[in-house]
Amino acid sequence: MAKKTYDLLFKLLLIGDSGVGKTCVLFRFSDDAFNTTFISTIGIDFKIKTVELQGKKIKLQIWDTAGQERFHTITTSYYRGAMGIMLVYDITNAKSFENISKWLRNIDEHANEDVERMLLGNKCDMEDKRVVPKAKGEQIAKEHGIRFFETSAKANVSIEKAFLTLAEDILRKTPVKEPNSENVDISSGGGVTGWKSKCCS
Amino acid sequence: MEFGEESSPALAFDKDAFELTVEDVYDISYVIGRDLLKISSKGEEVSDLQFRIVRVLEMFETLVNKYNLSLEELKMERDNLKSELDRILQERSSGQGAQTAGPNQLLVDLTDPNRPRFTMQELKEVLQERNQLKAQLMVAQEELQLYRSGILPQAEPAMVEVDLDTPAHTEHRRATISDAKEEKTTIGKLFSFRRK
Repeated sequence: MAKKTYDLLFKLLLIGDSGVGKTCVLFRFSDDAFNTTFISTIGIDFKIKTVELQGKKIKLQIWDTAGQERFHTITTSYYRGAMGIMLVYDITNAKSFENISKWLRNIDEHANEDVERMLLGNKCDMEDKRVVPKAKGEQIAKEHGIRFFETSAKANVSIEKAFLTLAEDILRKTPVKEPNSENVDISSGGGVTGWKSKCCS
Repeated sequence: MEFGEESSPALAFDKDAFELTVEDVYDISYVIGRDLLKISSKGEEVSDLQFRIVRVLEMFETLVNKYNLSLEELKMERDNLKSELDRILQERSSGQGAQTAGPNQLLVDLTDPNRPRFTMQELKEVLQERNQLKAQLMVAQEELQLYRSGILPQAEPAMVEVDLDTPAHTEHRRATISDAKEEKTTIGKLFSFRRK
């Protein structure tokens, strides 16, 4: 019966190398908190956050994926259902930046063609350990025609802005008509049928 | 006693050439020397021959000695190689798993409590169930919130079913949520009516 506490439901997905801060970025956005202890995400997790854009209540269901290679068969099955994908790298980790092209290829292979993409260079509070110049991030984002933000989950830099911008970009592409009302299916491409229980479908 | 002493050195002549030891060579020298002594007592002309025989016997001694040493060395070498082979075979049979794992295979230590046990499919199912339950919990929490804040009536299970069949009425219902409490009885009636 909690249905219709929102007007639209957007499914977002966070991807990127292990340890770049995907979970922290999400945790900052959903709970406005930060935790320094590194706990590797097991497979796939999600959080919910409702935001208001252009007078519409938009429920964001944000899937947080494990960056570790061993979980890839699980995580890639969630690309299909995503309307927006945030690709995160760590500005203090050159390898995570080099792997961007690999992640972009993954998106091409597994996600919907019209998925909204965004590049985040996280940990921008650690300027003394920076190895990836901001200009390089901007350049690669420009090459692929996607938005780019440098963020810090720890210092709370541009996190909310990034999520809201991505949601706005999706909203812009969304037909003006009311969504299929109650029948929004939040299940992932992986077949998660959560949310479809009788009480809320 | 004397017989034995005399006959035993002569036995060296009956031996197989490859079984001769340096002692056998000395026995042979002794016998030949004794025989030469018998001849030399008869004339002078054998002394040259005697020196040559001594020289040949010395060469013979060297050869037998060398042969036996080489043989001994080869035997030692063979024994060393044999024990080395045994050691390798032993290692191989005790650590059989280590030998059978290919380049793309992972060794699992069965005594490690943290060894991998579950398949990717099993993990997938557990994660799906976790996320499903999490989603349901969130829905339940939202509902609870609404009940607590008094926006929704306490018990109207009928409404759920009505909503399932008539999504067109959600607009209507949403309005009631944001509107006032006093309307809820009317709405309740409306929905229980629609249910029939």
